[in-house]
Amino acid sequence: MIAIGECLQIISTRVRTAIEGRDKGFVQDLVKRQVDKGANMLDLNIGPQKKAGPAVMEWLVNTVQEVVDVPLSLDTTNPEAIKAGLKICKQKPMINSTNADPERMGVLFPLAASHDCNIIALTLRATGLPVTAETRVEILSEDLLPVIEEHGVPLENVYLDPLVLTVNGCQEHSPEVIKAVRIFRQLTDPPFHTTCGLSNISSGAPPEVRPILNRIYLVMLMGAGLDSAILDPFDDQIMEALRIIENRDDSTAKGKVYLALYDAYAADEEFDPGIIDTSNPEHSDILKTIRVLEGKTLYAHGYLRL
Amino acid sequence: MAAVEVPIEKWTGKVHEVTLGGNGRKSVVVGGESTLPFLHFEGSLPRRPVIAIEVRDSEPKDWSPHLVDAWGDVLADPAAWAKKAMEYGADIIALSLRSAHPEEGNTGADEARKNVDKVLSAVDIPLIIYGPGVAEKDNEVLVAASDVAKGQRVALGNCEEKNHRTIAATCIADGHVAIGKTPIEINLAKQLNILLCDVGLSRDSILMDPTTGALGYGLEYTYSVMERLRLAALGGDAMTAMPMICTAGEESWRQKEAKFAEGMPEAWGDHLERALTWEEITAFSLFAAGADIMVVRHPGTVERMKAVIDRLMSESA
Repeated sequence: MIAIGECLQIISTRVRTAIEGRDKGFVQDLVKRQVDKGANMLDLNIGPQKKAGPAVMEWLVNTVQEVVDVPLSLDTTNPEAIKAGLKICKQKPMINSTNADPERMGVLFPLAASHDCNIIALTLRATGLPVTAETRVEILSEDLLPVIEEHGVPLENVYLDPLVLTVNGCQEHSPEVIKAVRIFRQLTDPPFHTTCGLSNISSGAPPEVRPILNRIYLVMLMGAGLDSAILDPFDDQIMEALRIIENRDDSTAKGKVYLALYDAYAADEEFDPGIIDTSNPEHSDILKTIRVLEGKTLYAHGYLRL
Repeated sequence: MAAVEVPIEKWTGKVHEVTLGGNGRKSVVVGGESTLPFLHFEGSLPRRPVIAIEVRDSEPKDWSPHLVDAWGDVLADPAAWAKKAMEYGADIIALSLRSAHPEEGNTGADEARKNVDKVLSAVDIPLIIYGPGVAEKDNEVLVAASDVAKGQRVALGNCEEKNHRTIAATCIADGHVAIGKTPIEINLAKQLNILLCDVGLSRDSILMDPTTGALGYGLEYTYSVMERLRLAALGGDAMTAMPMICTAGEESWRQKEAKFAEGMPEAWGDHLERALTWEEITAFSLFAAGADIMVVRHPGTVERMKAVIDRLMSESA
């Protein structure tokens, strides 16, 4: 599982200020700490950067590579900035991202092919959000794949992103995204890599429920075959869930629940709530969260209080 | 011909029953459904959907000429208006304390007490009492109205997230029902119910207003939200199982298709018929989406709605 650290992102005022002021110390500290927490790739989100894109990306990649040696995910809508970054990355980088928009694909897939780098491909058209898993698969086969093949991008370099949307308002998407990951993994042999912006699942939800939504959704997605995710490595409980699944650590009650949930999704079976100790609040919170993410209970900010 | 087997859904949940009135006053009970609207073959629909007529505590200045014609002189007297509404078949009077609005008189608690008392004395059917829709004034006049109506089990609205504690507290103290209103969003509707229960209001003392758009003005959004809320309720989600109330009158009569009596294209046909149809179709669509109480404005709509409900609630429908 590749844990892609999400914390260097332009939406954060401190990150924006650091990038504008070319504050090496701040950036290097932030990326080092993410790697210390277990991130094995780092997302560098610089925003659209219409004017200064290449210069910003170049500075950032160099600054980051002075202190860490994990691969980087170049996250901007400016293709020139991506080009500038690709040239100087020491490890095989990731382009983050293209969608199924012909113009964007026509620029980014050739770049991915010529640099032999990885690329995140969102199953999203400009015409509207896909709700069902089947629509996501259709976008892959009808829109993305022909262009991927046309430009000769090796399939193992493509990371499919089914587009995670918030359970707060787009709840019907939550189980469909899981299903889409499962289908993506079944289409080819070896299977496509998959990824997602995990924190989107809890966007707009209050801080007291965001972490549990994020980590339970991660376990479910991993069960369905997700093999990378852009996430918050400073959330210790997410990283703990990751470790539990990867090491199959069933030494704690929580570990047993996570593994049971993962195994149910890996087998494409219904999760059996029999393992949940309902007298344990932590357990019953997990069960309530699973039900919300499966679309079986309607989401509300206070769902854990019921 | 092959026999058609009607598919029957087995629901586990049911809508909470909410009682208004009682204690000497006629009572109206809404809710209790264990299936979708009017599907008698599938589950139980123990209560008829009911109609409330909107009555204002002060003469409305901007109402359609059609409404002014229909009500005449009583528009200036809430007690007479309420009596007439009862004669026209209202199951409930929805008294709107509009004069408390800062731009429409800015009256306060005393005026609210006086008008609520008058209307309570004039009719023996249950009341819904609405504030002017400005949070600070709502709290002032609804708390006063609650006190005057103590024991009469009225519904007080609107209760939104920002004032839910005040309204819930006064409902608990005086034995009333709160109308929780949320802006056409299913998750927020459920969340407000959770908040109201959290502060101690019982499940059978809450009505939900999911916010209504009129025909042609977002009705389909409300329809979808209501349908999903009701499906969740029937699926066993107790925090979405509150009976629903919609304000079809207020929404349809603010639209040009209903509001104006002249100056519209000739192709639009008879103005009054068009106006009534607008309110009627808005109201009926919302009943079909699961509404338990409909607040309307025109007496003609009441008659039309009652005829439709009579037919749809007869088992042979």
